[in-house]
Amino acid sequence: MAEETKPKKGFLGALKDIVYGMSSHEMTRHAVRTRASMEHLFILITMGDLLGIPILPPYYSLRLLPYVTPQISSWKRRMLRERDVTDVLG
Amino acid sequence: MNALIAVIMGAATVYLAYTRYARRIDRNVIQSDPKRATPATLYMDGVDFMPTNRNILFGYHFKSIAAAGPIVGAIVAANLWGWLPAMIWLVLGVAFMGWASDYSAIVLSVRNEGSSLSAVAHRLISPRTRTILFIFIFFYLLLIAGAFVGIMAQVMDSQPKTHLGMILLVAMGLLLGQMLYRWGVGLLPATALTVGIAFAAVLAGPLTEGLFKGLNEFFNSLTGGSAIVTYFDPTLAGFKGAEAKIMPSLLFWAIAICIFCYAGSVLPIWRMAQPVVYVGFWITAVAMILGLLGASLGTFIKPEVAQFQIPAFKGWNPQLGPSGIMPLWPMLFVTIACGAISGWHSLFGSVGTARQIESEADMLPVGAGAMFAEFLLGLLALLAVTVGAKGPPVAAFANGLGGFISVWGLPLEYAVSLAFATFIVIVLVVTQLIFRVMRVTLTEWLGEAIPPLRNQHVASFISVALAILLVLTGTWIYLWQLFGAANQLMAALSLLLVTIWLASVGKDWLYAGLPMIFMYVTTVGSILVTAYNLYFNVYVPNLDAGRLLPAVGSGLMVLVAVLLVVAALFIGFDGWRAFLKYLGQPAAAARAATARK
Repeated sequence: MAEETKPKKGFLGALKDIVYGMSSHEMTRHAVRTRASMEHLFILITMGDLLGIPILPPYYSLRLLPYVTPQISSWKRRMLRERDVTDVLG
Repeated sequence: MNALIAVIMGAATVYLAYTRYARRIDRNVIQSDPKRATPATLYMDGVDFMPTNRNILFGYHFKSIAAAGPIVGAIVAANLWGWLPAMIWLVLGVAFMGWASDYSAIVLSVRNEGSSLSAVAHRLISPRTRTILFIFIFFYLLLIAGAFVGIMAQVMDSQPKTHLGMILLVAMGLLLGQMLYRWGVGLLPATALTVGIAFAAVLAGPLTEGLFKGLNEFFNSLTGGSAIVTYFDPTLAGFKGAEAKIMPSLLFWAIAICIFCYAGSVLPIWRMAQPVVYVGFWITAVAMILGLLGASLGTFIKPEVAQFQIPAFKGWNPQLGPSGIMPLWPMLFVTIACGAISGWHSLFGSVGTARQIESEADMLPVGAGAMFAEFLLGLLALLAVTVGAKGPPVAAFANGLGGFISVWGLPLEYAVSLAFATFIVIVLVVTQLIFRVMRVTLTEWLGEAIPPLRNQHVASFISVALAILLVLTGTWIYLWQLFGAANQLMAALSLLLVTIWLASVGKDWLYAGLPMIFMYVTTVGSILVTAYNLYFNVYVPNLDAGRLLPAVGSGLMVLVAVLLVVAALFIGFDGWRAFLKYLGQPAAAARAATARK
């Protein structure tokens, strides 16, 4: 995602980015947040296996675990981060 | 004086303030370092913390801070004191305070692991400061909601030509949400269809004026033409004051707006709130771009729409009603907020934008750059009301902006209709989001103690009911100034936090500290003046006349004003103690820079 890895954009590219930022970036962020909430629920149902307690039948949990594992670190960060009411503004 | 000179002066202000002052502070005081890792890169979770391109972030931040503030404030101020004081404050405010406030809030958050202002207040000042800040933020939101609903209800009631556009805007927003998220239609065709229809409806508004006028008359006939509430409005009769009435049609539009906001608050955000904002964005963007360019070129193409018509200066202390006072200091500085300096920007910048900053080198172009763009929007609003002297304040703005747009060949009547719609759209989309935030704030704040508030419908209903109660007092000019004061106080508190943080890390704090002192003293003073006006202009006459609702509403607002002052004094006292503590022995608060990979 680092900017230096991307090719430089011209004036029109910058203008396109600004218009995207004004019109659609917020919608994208909300869509991403909704997806993150769904993924948290997903992690929750497989939590038992992470802790070694079989809540779901082990067959299904083992099938699901590969999808959960890559997200554990960002999930942990989101769950443990300090929040307050002003967070909803962003 | 004409619009072209003002636009050139505005552009020069932006250039000089950005290159000669803001860049110097960024380089010498903050010492932004592109190699230092930002919270977005350090804590990237793909959701809240996400490194984002600076151009996208500029657009996102500008759109999030540019609401009704710069427009309504400029309208009210130009009518009270004339265009010259308003323009001087806009220029000096943004050059020495506004950009510093927006930029510093982002810097504060970026240098403190993406923390919100209240979290930094908790760490640097005291836990009590954080609690007071929460209470303050709730009342702040209540004031915005009340002021915006009141303004919109008045404009909708008096401008039937805007109704078709607004109804179809909401309908197109709902359709867009359905098309994008349920039917899987692409963004471009969905945008073309919904924005096209909404635009056509806005422009066709004058053709349906008679129909909606008849609807208003029908509502008013239900009470035999008599008012539901009568109150003293100090803004009538050239600010001499007179009795004003809330007619059934106005109450109908106020309730309709609240139902819309209620739905925006409780429905999934993709269903209504976001798509309506998106469709509204295109309408306002087109009107604003045509308006700004029209203001610049109007002097050559259509000079009659670009000449200033209202007086440059109307007086130091215009009287407001029989007992009210409106001294230029402190009231001008809270009446015009967002175009010069605003607390909302700091609040949003710290929790929204700062967590997406990819490189410290982006903090200045995004934070200060968006503020300077907002200043240009405020300047456009001021120009519009200054050249369009016909009618009451909002109508003057719409006439002025319509005149600028008509430079491009659109008939004046349709251009004015577009300008009215632009005003309502800007206020409407912000208001529905504010009710959503209010609902969440109320639940977070009191949900533990009062379990029913955890229910989103109960929390939303209470938020809407409180706003309606404020609206029914009918004194939106006070509500606006109380909101302006709360907003500016938020900016002062944000600058206070920045000042304390700068002292805590041993940096030069003057660039934030001096504007903070000015804004703090000014806003506390303005709240006291507003409370005085509310008490003597609204509360006492209505109580004497036995009109219960305006008396209760204005009494409630006096109470809110007193609470704001008390909150400001507590935070100021705690902040001063923390400042002295850090000034004596700067703490090792500055974390060691974490190198990028």
